[in-house]
Amino acid sequence: MKKNLIWIGAGVLGLALVVLLAASIAGEEPIDSSVGFGEVTVEGNALPTIDNPNAGDPTVGLVAPTLSGADWNGTPVSIAPDGRSKIVVLLAHWCPHCQAEVPVILDWAASGGLPADVDLYGVTVLTTPSRVEFPPQDWLEGEGWDFPTIMDNEAGDAALAYGLSGTPYYLVLDGENRNLGRFAGEIGIAGLNTLAQIAQAGLSTSPAP
Amino acid sequence: MSLEAIRFYNTFLALLTVFALGLALGLVVYRVVRGPEAASRWGNQALWLAWLVALVATSGSLVYSEVIHYVPCRLCWFQRIAMYPMSVVLLVGAVRKDLAARFYALPLALIGLLISIWHYTIQVFPSLEGGSCDPLNPCSARYVEVLGFVSIPFMAGAGFTLIAVLLLFYVRATRT
Repeated sequence: MKKNLIWIGAGVLGLALVVLLAASIAGEEPIDSSVGFGEVTVEGNALPTIDNPNAGDPTVGLVAPTLSGADWNGTPVSIAPDGRSKIVVLLAHWCPHCQAEVPVILDWAASGGLPADVDLYGVTVLTTPSRVEFPPQDWLEGEGWDFPTIMDNEAGDAALAYGLSGTPYYLVLDGENRNLGRFAGEIGIAGLNTLAQIAQAGLSTSPAP
Repeated sequence: MSLEAIRFYNTFLALLTVFALGLALGLVVYRVVRGPEAASRWGNQALWLAWLVALVATSGSLVYSEVIHYVPCRLCWFQRIAMYPMSVVLLVGAVRKDLAARFYALPLALIGLLISIWHYTIQVFPSLEGGSCDPLNPCSARYVEVLGFVSIPFMAGAGFTLIAVLLLFYVRATRT
C-alpha cells in the first residue's frame, strides 16, 4: 500500500514537472489569429471546382472573377483584367507541398524563368491559425517571397472564386482574366516553364505540366 | 480553446511523448539486462501502466478532434481504430488481473505502430502521398509540430511503442 502511494506521488510530481516544462517551452506570448487573414472582394462568377484539373480544365476560356485584397503589409493587390497575362498560385501555409514548391518558384523566377510579360501573384488560402507555419506571411517572408500576394479571408472567398481543389494550386490567366488552365500540386521547374508558355500563348491547347 | 492553450497542450503532449519513448527504451534495456526477473516484479502493474498510456492517447486524440476541432485524416482514423479498443481491453484485463489481455492488445499495438510509422514517414516525405494537398484533410500535413519532430502520428507511435514494450516484456501470461 505504502509502495503504491509512493508510486502515485512520484507520478503526480512527474506530471507537475512536465506541465511546468511545457509551460516554459510553449511561452506566454499571445497569438493574434486575425493576422493571417485579409479582406477580399470577388467580382464576377466563380470558376467551378473540378476534381482533377491536371487532367484537363473544362473551364478554359471562362473569365475568372476579379480578386481584390491586400498583402500582410496592407498593400492593395488586384488580380484583374489589366491586359497582362498572369500566373496565380494559391498556397496554404500548413501544406507540405506548398512548402516544397515555394523555393522552387523563387529559384525559377530568380533564374529568369518568369517572362517579362507575365506577372506572378500569390494568394494565401485555407489559413488555419492552429496549424503549423501560421501566420502564412512569416513563412513566405522567411522564404524570401516578394510577389504581390492577396491574403484570403476566413470564409475562403478567394479559394472559392478560383475553384480550389488542392494545394498548391495554379491558375493561368490572360490579359482579359480568361482562364487558360488550372493545375493542382507540385509542378516543379518544368511545369512552371509550361505555365509560362501557356500564359504567353494565350488560349491554346498546351498540355498540362 | 485559445491558440495559446493549444500551443501549451501540444507541447505538453510532445513532452509526454518524448518521456514515453525514453521509458520504452529504458524498459527494453532493463529487461535485457535483468532478464525475466525484471518482469516478475511488475505483476499486473504493467497492465495498468499500458492502460494508462492507452487512456492518455485516446483522450488526447479526442481533445484534438472534439475540442480543438482537428479533423482526423484517413491514417489517423486507422490509428484510432487500434488505440481506442486498448483503453477498454487493458482496463478490463487490469481490473480482473487477467494478464492474458496482452494477447488481445498486443496485435493492436503492433498494427497501430506500423501505421504510425507509415504516417510519420509520409509527413517527412510528402511526395509519397502524392503531389498536392487535399484541401480538406491531407495525411501528409502536420497539424502539430513541437521540438521540430513531434507530430500527432509521432505521439501515437510513441504510445503504441510503450504499450507494446510493456505487453511484450513485462506482462507475463500463459495461454489457458
